[in-house]
Amino acid sequence: MFGSDFNNAAGRNTTHKIVLPFYAYAAVSLLVSILLLFFSAEAFTQHYFHPHTLAITHMMALGWGTMIILGASHQLVPVLIEKSLYSARLGYASFLLAAVGIPLLVYGFYVFDMGGPAKWGGRFVLLSVICYIINIAASMSGGRKVNVHAVFILTASLWLFLTAFLGLALVYNFTFPFLPKETLQYLPLHAHVGIIGWFLLLIIGVGSRLIPMFLISKYANSKLLWVIYFLINAGLLSFLLSFLYFPSREYYNFSIAAVVLALLFFGYYCYCAVKERIRRQVDEQMKTSLLSVVMMLLPLLFLVVITGWLVVDQLSARMVLIYGFAIFYGWITAIIFGMTFKTLPFIVWNKVYHDKAGLGKTPNPKDLFNNKLYILMVLIYLGGFILFITGAYLADTYVLNFAAAILLLAAVLYNWNVMKVLFHKPKSYERHH
Amino acid sequence: MNVITNNNIRCIIALAGLEQVVDPEIGLNVVDLGLIYQVDFDEENKKIFVTMTLTTQFCPMGESITAAVKRVMEHTFPGEEVWVELSFDPPWSHERISEEGKKFFNQ
Repeated sequence: MFGSDFNNAAGRNTTHKIVLPFYAYAAVSLLVSILLLFFSAEAFTQHYFHPHTLAITHMMALGWGTMIILGASHQLVPVLIEKSLYSARLGYASFLLAAVGIPLLVYGFYVFDMGGPAKWGGRFVLLSVICYIINIAASMSGGRKVNVHAVFILTASLWLFLTAFLGLALVYNFTFPFLPKETLQYLPLHAHVGIIGWFLLLIIGVGSRLIPMFLISKYANSKLLWVIYFLINAGLLSFLLSFLYFPSREYYNFSIAAVVLALLFFGYYCYCAVKERIRRQVDEQMKTSLLSVVMMLLPLLFLVVITGWLVVDQLSARMVLIYGFAIFYGWITAIIFGMTFKTLPFIVWNKVYHDKAGLGKTPNPKDLFNNKLYILMVLIYLGGFILFITGAYLADTYVLNFAAAILLLAAVLYNWNVMKVLFHKPKSYERHH
Repeated sequence: MNVITNNNIRCIIALAGLEQVVDPEIGLNVVDLGLIYQVDFDEENKKIFVTMTLTTQFCPMGESITAAVKRVMEHTFPGEEVWVELSFDPPWSHERISEEGKKFFNQ
């Protein structure tokens, strides 16, 4: 009656040695990024093409967002594609290359030296992305069936390669101008390939699997996910082509409409997953993750304001900063906050207790971090986030500094909880069992 | 009990033992979750075969859960060799959750 898998599929999980360094690096990067924000809050009253703003953005996008996603996806890809990871060595290489490259790149931006540090940083990051793509593509090859979540991840990683390649080209363009336009002109392209192609596609691809899984929801709708996939890619491709060959507001509006529609569909998907959940209780981490889905719409609102001709030029430049801030410090950070404490405790629990389960009392994975501290962190963070946007809108340095200090406190609490999980040791009574 | 077995009495003892094995993410034991498909006893050769599933294939907790099932079975039936096999055919579905399990989820 039952087809058995004698190879014990559960035994082929990715080792924690690959995954945990990514989480630790990302946590420290968040702290560094907000420290930079605290000491450079005034940059948010100026044009977005400011060395400190570029440094902060790359610390957030690469050190925080990308590193934790790379780490988590090394663990999650086998779950999604139901096959083991192709190579542990490529996983280690991807971490080491990015870990060296990101500080070099951020330093290069901060002091605005587009020479050695920025170039080497960009090269290392690009090599890290290549290692990741090879690993993911090789893991997926020969799969039994096409899995929509896996296609999301692979496509997202190809967009990541494109934005990393374009980013390196832009660094070179500062010292050896070879592109037809100035570097500044290409920033919207570089940014949106990263934000929409990499972050949005990957977060939806992974979130659409994890959200129903953690809610234990009966809801599944691959067709809707394919529609979302095509809308996002069509929106991004049309933006890319119109940006390069026939820039016009109409084409941009088409791109925005496609992405907005995809986000609304994803919101509907999450709503159905919540509605059809078997587990009635929704924990704080899932609530934060679901809040991030709503927060996806916030940058779009700012984008409409920017492109909607509602504001004068001076305010428009400020709105671009607020738009970027809402993406990295709002939507992306919120989903990472939630998913960190849905995934990390389980990885560490597996490391510490895998040979003790069933033998006696072991703590639950959720006992490995302090949930009250987590709730406090989220509330503090949301307060700081709203205040920072207010400060950026008013171009008020005092409000920005105060908001950055609040965000810094939230980052400290996040790091405290992450380190508490990472350095978890079994209590003495658990060791005796 | 929606578990296939060749020995009802010994299976009830086995399932009572397996109620100690809890899915760490969900907080519910593997029996009420409906993860246990089949428990067969080869009394002549002192072997026990457990066929079970996971809520999702490559579940990160899968290795710990299957190891715990093996340990508990060895503890419940000392001196007998225990084989735990994973099956995803059919895959787990919420319909396998017991009435107790449904009460747990509705809390």
